[in-house]
Amino acid sequence: MTAFFRLGSMRFALMITLVLDIITTAAILFIVSAGLLIVFGVMKIINFAHASFITVGAYAALVASRLGLPPVLAPALAFLAGGLIGAAAERVVVRRLYGRPLDAILATWGLSIVIGQLVTLAFGREVQFVPAPISGTVMILGEDYSGYRLLMVGAAIVIAALFTGLLNGTRLGLSTRAVIMNETLAQGLGIDSTRVRLITFGIGCGLAAIAGALITPLASVDPNMGLSWLIGAFMLVMISGGSLLTLGLSCLVLGGLQVLASTFISPILGGLTIAVLAAVALRLRPEGFARA
Amino acid sequence: MTLSRSFSNLLAAAACTTLLAAPALAADPIKIGVPVGLSGANSVVAPSVVQSAQLAVEEINAKGGVLGRQLALEVADDASGAAGAQKAFDSLVFQKKVDVLISMETSAARNAALPIVARGKVPYIYTSFYEGKSCSPFMYVNAWVPEQQVPPIVDYFNKEKGAKKFFLIGSDYAFGRGMLAFTKAYIEKTGGKVVGEEYLPMDGSDWTPIISKLKGAAPDALITSTAGGAPNVTLTKQLRAAGVALPYGNLAVDEGTAKSMGTDAEGIYLSASYVTGIDSGANKTFLAAMQKKFGAELKTPNDLSVPEYEAVYAYKAAAEKAGSTEQAKVLKALGEISVEGPRGKIAMSKQHHAPLTMYLGQVQADGGVKVIKSFPNVDPGAQCPNLKS
Repeated sequence: MTAFFRLGSMRFALMITLVLDIITTAAILFIVSAGLLIVFGVMKIINFAHASFITVGAYAALVASRLGLPPVLAPALAFLAGGLIGAAAERVVVRRLYGRPLDAILATWGLSIVIGQLVTLAFGREVQFVPAPISGTVMILGEDYSGYRLLMVGAAIVIAALFTGLLNGTRLGLSTRAVIMNETLAQGLGIDSTRVRLITFGIGCGLAAIAGALITPLASVDPNMGLSWLIGAFMLVMISGGSLLTLGLSCLVLGGLQVLASTFISPILGGLTIAVLAAVALRLRPEGFARA
Repeated sequence: MTLSRSFSNLLAAAACTTLLAAPALAADPIKIGVPVGLSGANSVVAPSVVQSAQLAVEEINAKGGVLGRQLALEVADDASGAAGAQKAFDSLVFQKKVDVLISMETSAARNAALPIVARGKVPYIYTSFYEGKSCSPFMYVNAWVPEQQVPPIVDYFNKEKGAKKFFLIGSDYAFGRGMLAFTKAYIEKTGGKVVGEEYLPMDGSDWTPIISKLKGAAPDALITSTAGGAPNVTLTKQLRAAGVALPYGNLAVDEGTAKSMGTDAEGIYLSASYVTGIDSGANKTFLAAMQKKFGAELKTPNDLSVPEYEAVYAYKAAAEKAGSTEQAKVLKALGEISVEGPRGKIAMSKQHHAPLTMYLGQVQADGGVKVIKSFPNVDPGAQCPNLKS
């Protein structure tokens, strides 16, 4: 009887860990894909340099920690660095490619190589390290769980709130939506669509950089660190179909399935889950799951 | 008829010229080919390997060289891969006509290069630790194989920490899986039990489900074998963030990586044939000489660079024993000589592999590695039963 009970409580403990794994994984996936949602989902630019902006953000966090700045400032510094580099890239490269999606893929891929090499020149090729602002574990329902991962859930909610506020509550958001829906009409109404695109692309890249700064305490900092997130982020944004709510949902569903596959089958299969399921989902519903 | 006679006369004349030229040739330097990954994944460690070779060559030349001839290095970039290694070895063996090859390589690059080495019949001293059982009559290895690296950690956890249940985590590639397969067999042979064995792809960075499984399995100790660099750092950080405080043996960490990981690396156990903290006269002399030669440019000597330094001396000893740089004679002598270096006395006498003194180290709070225990003359086991010496 007691043995049975103990087995039951052990199952319960494993369940809690599993649920926490799923929620925190979804939160991290959301943070990483949010910037791409603006650039790809809203502006329809396939930004292969997304991974590089994640990397830029990570190095911004590295610089912040070397300067001894408080860890809260790291994402802010990252946003600034990512946003400025993103805006510059928009002016020099991306602006010419809004009507040429295939060229944009090549150009942003090239951009990512340039950024990667510049990062290597400035910081070296080796793996570096940013200490976590909070270390250790938090007790949740009798289970020790990584405090920083739980913090990521809060960060994801903050980013989602800011994002929604920006797009729905500000003049810039209104202009952006107008430009996306009908650029000629928007220009006719006196909206400077070039400026709107510049700012939107900058914000998208800045968000990618924030993601980089936020995940560094769990990851290592090296010139290619963003790359492992790129495919997953693309798949999630594509099936979300450009809406923040569906992005959140797809992160939860696909992230959850990734954790389940990793836990019960094998982490190697788990790594494939998002790409495979997203491909299947897009086959069934090419326009994604947002109600367009 | 006359034509062919005059041709053979010509040949004879050419042979005479070659013979006459022989004394002049003796003054030419002996060429040591060093194919390494100056670009690509190995570029983190390759500069330290080249520095080691440079110091050895400079020291030997200052004392009169080998058989009265100076040594010269021919360094070639192999881009850390198999295709690059084929080009690098090919140009070193057939264009530069090196007398010997001495270098560390990835296993894929080594396997791609060995047929070229065999075709050129050039002695090759392989200076990288690897997964074992690579055999060629032209290759000698002076670095460790799993049989030498794994037992110190497992034995220490077993005897000193009372660990019976082990959990293994690795990166999904030949070296990671090979090391852990050996580790598992060794744990089971010594009475322990493996309660979990998990792998993540090499480019994966989220270890969460594996860490949750590790916690669920409640083992006594953890042993990991990831790819070097990023996977090793991310795994360690996430283990620490999840509050894992088990005895933690890491088969893939080196001193440099441990230092860059800061406090998260504290307490990690590692096993190596070289750590900078080896308390011997030879090691201190070596470190001082490296510091003097390279100053601020010095790359910290490590388990991949020090064997390079010793291998140059091994070549010197073999050529002197053979009394010639003739490659067949040198090859035979390489299995018979021993050299005293920073890692101690090393002889590549066991089926082209070397018994080594292994050091069990633990990473300290300041990132340095403290030697906990040394295991003298750990045998490499039967690596190449078909090779005679």
